[in-house]
Amino acid sequence: MNARTRKRVLAVLQNVAILLFIATMLVPIVWIALAAFKQHVDVYQLKLVFTPTLDNFSRVFAAPYFLGDKLINSTIVATITVLIAIPIATGAAYAFSRFRLRGQTLLLVIILATQFVPAVVIVLPFFLMFRDLGLLDTRTGLVIVNLAIVMPFAVWMIKGFIDGIPIDTEEAALVDGSSRLQVIRNIVLPMAAPGLVTAGIFCFIIAWNEFLFALILTSKNAVTLPIGLALFKAEEGDLWNLMAAAGIIIMVPMFVLALIIRRHFVQGMTMGAVR
Amino acid sequence: MRDRTLKYLLVAPAVLVVGATAVWPLAESLRLSLYAGRLSRPDFPQAFVGSSHYAWAFTEEPAFWNSVAVTAAFTVITVVLTTLFALAFALLLAPGGKFRSGVQSLLILPFAMSPALIGVSFRFMFNPEFGLFDAMFTGILPAAASINWLADPGAAFWVVVVADVWGWIPFLTLVLIGGLASVPRETLEAAQVDGASGWRVFRDVTLPQLLPVLAVVIILKAIFSLKTFDLVFMLTNGGPGNATQTLSHYVYFNGFKYAEFGYASAVAWLMVIPMMVLTYFYARFVFDRK
Repeated sequence: MNARTRKRVLAVLQNVAILLFIATMLVPIVWIALAAFKQHVDVYQLKLVFTPTLDNFSRVFAAPYFLGDKLINSTIVATITVLIAIPIATGAAYAFSRFRLRGQTLLLVIILATQFVPAVVIVLPFFLMFRDLGLLDTRTGLVIVNLAIVMPFAVWMIKGFIDGIPIDTEEAALVDGSSRLQVIRNIVLPMAAPGLVTAGIFCFIIAWNEFLFALILTSKNAVTLPIGLALFKAEEGDLWNLMAAAGIIIMVPMFVLALIIRRHFVQGMTMGAVR
Repeated sequence: MRDRTLKYLLVAPAVLVVGATAVWPLAESLRLSLYAGRLSRPDFPQAFVGSSHYAWAFTEEPAFWNSVAVTAAFTVITVVLTTLFALAFALLLAPGGKFRSGVQSLLILPFAMSPALIGVSFRFMFNPEFGLFDAMFTGILPAAASINWLADPGAAFWVVVVADVWGWIPFLTLVLIGGLASVPRETLEAAQVDGASGWRVFRDVTLPQLLPVLAVVIILKAIFSLKTFDLVFMLTNGGPGNATQTLSHYVYFNGFKYAEFGYASAVAWLMVIPMMVLTYFYARFVFDRK
């Protein structure tokens, strides 16, 4: 075999390996997607060809599951978490990026470290506190604990974006007599806007998929979508087709959001350790 | 307003939020771990018991040691497997081009899936009667088809491992692709011109350059593996028996099923310690790159 043929064979083999790999990665997703459109009888067979139905989707939104309520809860909790987290994180990120603060490194390390505290440690005291304050099973309570997991990501991610904005324009405006707040509003915010949106989407996905807090702190009124999945574990066995339909409702919006921020995904998740 | 005041005003809200939602619960858990805390009784928390919850966990609770062993094995195995697979896929995908970057986009999808949902889908696929894997094994390896995956302690552990590795491969792959992109092209080409084999180029040029990123990935994955809860809860709920009970799940069970809040807080704090060690190394990598 000469060198050129070898190279070509190698390229084909690589492509086959890549296809096999991505197929494996997509199987569970495709599996859920198929089950969501199957009738109850077809779920228990490995049919790839079947008469699709939207029945499962109408059933999950109807009594006794009322998945619509959970959808509303998830949307409100994730949205408000993001709306609180992003402005606060932006302020901090700007200060960390442009000024020297006393104890700056320590603060940044603490913010980084809180990301790694197990959720189960955080939830124990909050459970007691919420019980005393009447915040159990409320969306307000969920927003508060979600801030714990979202905030460190947001600060670090936005700091990364602001670090990347050249400082010259700001300095010129300051020399021309603009105040610092004007500079932030008129120069920094517009330039950082794509970064803020990316960080916002990122935090939205985290809050949307959050499981442990919602499992422990909600019971009826504030239940979110991931916990809603457990509704379909019935005594007579799991209702797979309904679970799959709920799964589609949980994951498809996140797929769309994830594809939008695809290019910043790695940087966000590693808090800037990898760019 | 003077910058000197402003900078602290800008940082204050974030520091306050992090303090209230992460630092305070840490301190409060530590305090609770020193008290007898039966949640079901009204006079909560009850008597100060000092370190006896910790002593209890170490000396009287085989279930605690079981969850330590499960978590340790789970962490080591998932970190190794995920890293190896991700490295292989990253090397395959790194050269770029339309096809490969399309595949990279698709890789985002499994990662945007919540671990709870991954748990559900794997429970579905490993169902012994009508699951996908059952059907596959009936065809390929009939002996394996009769295994009731989630009812057998050993098999259930491996199902959780497979589900977790599946869920994390995409993220690690994408990070490593990012790392590979920073290996200077000239160095690679120079090595190839010198006639080094593919394996030699990888071992002597790519791998050393990739080490910092690889270290970050391994630490990060270890942290996430140690915390694993959602996946286990939806896939096996710690069972059968407690064959797949991770530490997070053990804390959850003691705190919210048995209402032993003091004891649960103590075990939760024992989880914090390895986390702090890993975070220390992680922070060093983050700041070294600045």
